[in-house]
Amino acid sequence: MSPHRLTTATFWLLLSLGVALPLLVLAWRGLGDVAILPRVLDVAGVSLLLALLGSSLCLGVGGGLAWLAFRARLHPGWDALLLPAYLVPPFVGALGFLYALQLVGLQPYGVGGILLAWTAHYAPVAYLLLRPALESKLAPLLVACEVHGVTGWRRVRALLPPLFPALIAAFGALYLTLLGNFGVPAVLGLPAQVYTLPTLAYARLFSPASPDPLGEAAAIGLLLGLLAVPALLLSSQPSGEPSPRLLRPRLVWVARMGFGLFALVAVLFPLVGLLRRALFNTFTGAFQPAFWAAWELPLVRQGLANSLLLALLATGLLLLLGLLMAPQRGAMKRLRQVLDMHYLLPGTLLAIGLILLLAPTPLYATPWILLLAYLLNFAALMLRSIEAGLEAGIERLVEVGRLFGLRQGWAWWKIGFPLLRPYLAAGVFLVLPLCLAELTLSAMLYAPGSETLGVAVLSALNGGLFREAAAIGLMLMALSLLLLLVPRRGVVG
Amino acid sequence: MLRLEEVSKNFGKAGVFGVSLELAPGEIMAVLGASGSGKTTLLNLVAGLLKPDTGRIFLGPDEVTHQPPEQRGLAYVFQDHALWPHLSALEHLLLVMKKPDREAAHQLLGRVGLAGLEARKPHQLSGGQKQRVALARALAAKPRLLLLDEPYSALDPVLREELRLEVAALLRAEHVSALHVTHDPDEALAVADRVAVMEGGRIVQVDTPTQVYAQPQTLSAARAFGRLNLLPVQVQNGWVRLNGLAWEVEGLQSGPGLLAFRYEDLRPGPEGLEARVLAVYGGRGERLCRVNLGIGEAVVKLQAEPGEEVRLSPAGRLRVFEANC
Repeated sequence: MSPHRLTTATFWLLLSLGVALPLLVLAWRGLGDVAILPRVLDVAGVSLLLALLGSSLCLGVGGGLAWLAFRARLHPGWDALLLPAYLVPPFVGALGFLYALQLVGLQPYGVGGILLAWTAHYAPVAYLLLRPALESKLAPLLVACEVHGVTGWRRVRALLPPLFPALIAAFGALYLTLLGNFGVPAVLGLPAQVYTLPTLAYARLFSPASPDPLGEAAAIGLLLGLLAVPALLLSSQPSGEPSPRLLRPRLVWVARMGFGLFALVAVLFPLVGLLRRALFNTFTGAFQPAFWAAWELPLVRQGLANSLLLALLATGLLLLLGLLMAPQRGAMKRLRQVLDMHYLLPGTLLAIGLILLLAPTPLYATPWILLLAYLLNFAALMLRSIEAGLEAGIERLVEVGRLFGLRQGWAWWKIGFPLLRPYLAAGVFLVLPLCLAELTLSAMLYAPGSETLGVAVLSALNGGLFREAAAIGLMLMALSLLLLLVPRRGVVG
Repeated sequence: MLRLEEVSKNFGKAGVFGVSLELAPGEIMAVLGASGSGKTTLLNLVAGLLKPDTGRIFLGPDEVTHQPPEQRGLAYVFQDHALWPHLSALEHLLLVMKKPDREAAHQLLGRVGLAGLEARKPHQLSGGQKQRVALARALAAKPRLLLLDEPYSALDPVLREELRLEVAALLRAEHVSALHVTHDPDEALAVADRVAVMEGGRIVQVDTPTQVYAQPQTLSAARAFGRLNLLPVQVQNGWVRLNGLAWEVEGLQSGPGLLAFRYEDLRPGPEGLEARVLAVYGGRGERLCRVNLGIGEAVVKLQAEPGEEVRLSPAGRLRVFEANC
C-alpha cells in the first residue's frame, strides 16, 4: 500500500472511530451493567412486538394506499392528503390523538393509542417508499399481465415476488424508526406505565431511585441497539423511475376515498383534538385560546429560543459541510456512510453515548451538546439530499464544464452549485423542522437553561398543562407543515 | 494535431490496448467500431477524463498525457448533449469562451441555425436544437481538437443526415480537427477524411473511408462497414473453386477461409456462378436479392425476381480472410 493510501485509510479509520465513539462508549458501559437486562426483557419484548406490529400496520395501510394510488393513476397532488400526517412531529401527532380520543370518550393511553399514532404518522413513509417501487417494477409487469390475460392468483404470483425487495426494505426502515421512536410512547405510553426501550432508558436516566441511572440506561441502549442492528441490513431505500403511461386508471373512487379517509383519521382527527384543547376551556367549554398562556410560560420561551438557535445553527453548519464536500463526491459518500449510524440507529443510543462521553467536559449541560447531537443525527440526511443531486448527473455536468476549460472552483460556482440548489433546499427543509421539533435527543440531553420546544411540550404535559401543550403542539404543527412547500418530484406526471 | 503513442487503458476484459494514431490539422477522423470496441474510452483518454495506464498523448507539440481536462483546450459533443439545464443557449457559449463575446456568440448561434433561440434553456429546445447548442458550445470554445461521441445517434434519420453534413461542412470551414466516434458506417463515410476501425480495444485499420470499404485489411474492418457476405471456402494457391468455377482471390492464399464480398461485388455474367433468387428486398433506391449460390446464401445488388435463375461473377478480385481471425 502506498504511503498516500495508507494515510487516507488511517484518516478514515480514525474518523469512523471518532464518530462511533459515543456508541462504543455506550456498548462498553452497557456491558458493565448487563445484570439489569433480565429485568427489562419484558420491556424489550414489548418494544420488539410493538415495533413489529406497528411496522406491519404502517406497511399495510401505506402499502394499500400506494397500491390504490398506483392502480388509480392518482396525481401526486393527492399526496398532500397524506403528507401532513408525516410532516407533523410524531409526539405532536400523539398529543393530537391523546386529546381527540378523549374527546370521543376512548382510552388514549397504552398500546392501542401508540399503534394508532404510529400508523397515522408512518404509513405515509411506507407509501413514499413503495409507490416508486410499484411504478418502476410493477407497472410494466401489470401491463404484460393485462395484455396476456393473466388474472387472479396467477397475477398475484407474477406481481408479488418482484416487489419483495422493496417490501422488505420498507419494513426494515419502518421497524428501525418505530423501535427508536421516543415521542409517541412518551406521550401515550408513559402515563399508563407502558414502556418501550427508549422511554425506559429515559425513565431510568432520570429515576431518583436508580443506583446507577447512566449504567442502566446504557445497558438498555445496548439492548435497543442489538434489536435494531439486524434491520440495518434491510434498510436500503428502494428507488424507482416513472413508469410508462399505458396503465388504465382503475378503482379511482376507492383510491380517492382511501386518501380522504386517511386524511380524516390521521390528520383532521388529531388536529381537531389539538384545536379543541387549545382553543376552548376544558371545564367551561368557553372559547379561550391558550396560546398566550403558553407563551407566558418561561420554559416555552426558553425552548423556542433554544430550538430556533439550535435548528438554524445545525442546518447552517450542515449546509456548509454539504457545500464544502459536494466537489469531492467520493469523500462525501464515505463520510455520509460513516454518519449513517447516527441517522439510522435510535437517537436514544446517541444521546446516552454523548452523556457518557461528554459528562466530564464543560460541553455537558449546555446547548452545545445538543448542537453536537443534532449535527451527528441529521448530517447524513443533509448529505443524502446533496448526494441525490450529484447522482442525478450534476457532477458529470461540472466535469463537462472542466472539459471546456473551466477551473474546478469556477465550474462548481457556475454549474454545480446552481444546479444543486433544489437539493440543498430540500436538505434544509428536511433538517430545519426536524431540529425545531426534535425530542428524543433533547429529552435526554437537556439541562436547565438548554430546554428545547419539544422538552417544553413534554414538561407542560407532565405538569398537567394540557391546554398549553396543545397550543405549542399546534404551533409546531404549523411550522412543520412548511415542509409541504418543498418541491418534490412526483412519480406520475 | 493529435498523436497517440501506444496508449493503453485496461478495464479487465474491456479497454484500449496499444493504440497509436495521428491526426493532421483540420482533419476529421471517424473512429468506427461495434459497441464495446473501446471507441468512447479512446475519446475519454484524449479528453483527459481517463488517465492511460501506459502510452503518451500529444496535442500539437505538447504532451498532455497527465494534464487535467481543463488544460487541454478541447471541446466535446456528447451523445446526450450534456447541456447545463440552468443556462440559456447563449449562456452556454459565453461560459466556455475564453473572452466572453456576446456578438460572436450570437453569430455562432446563427451559423448553427439557432438565431432567435438564444434565450431558450435546454428543456425549451427540441432534440436537434439541443444538439446544435452542444455543437455551438464546442465551437465557441475554439478548441484545438473537437471530440464527438456518437452525436447524432438520438436523432431521427432525416435530421441525422442533415445535421451531420452541416456539421462536417462547418468544421471544415473553421478548420477544426475532430475525432468523431460512431458505429454508423454511413456517418463515417459522410463526414470523415479518414476512418480508424477499432476492435477489441485495438485499431485494426486506418485509411480513407472508401479505401477501408473497398480494401478492408481485416475481417472486423470489413464487418465495420456492413453490407458484407461471408462464405466458408477452401483456398489453394490464391484460387477458390466453387461448383466447377475457379476465382482468383486476395488475402489468404491457402487453407480454409471466409470469402468476403459486398452486395455490389457480384454482377450478372454468362460465365458466372449459378444462383437462384430466393427473395427480393427493395430498399433505399436499390434492389437487393437474397440468392442461393450453391455454396451458401448471400445478398447481392441485382435486378431479378424471386425464383429466377441467374449467373454471378465477381466485379474484381474478392478477398478471403482467415476463418478464425
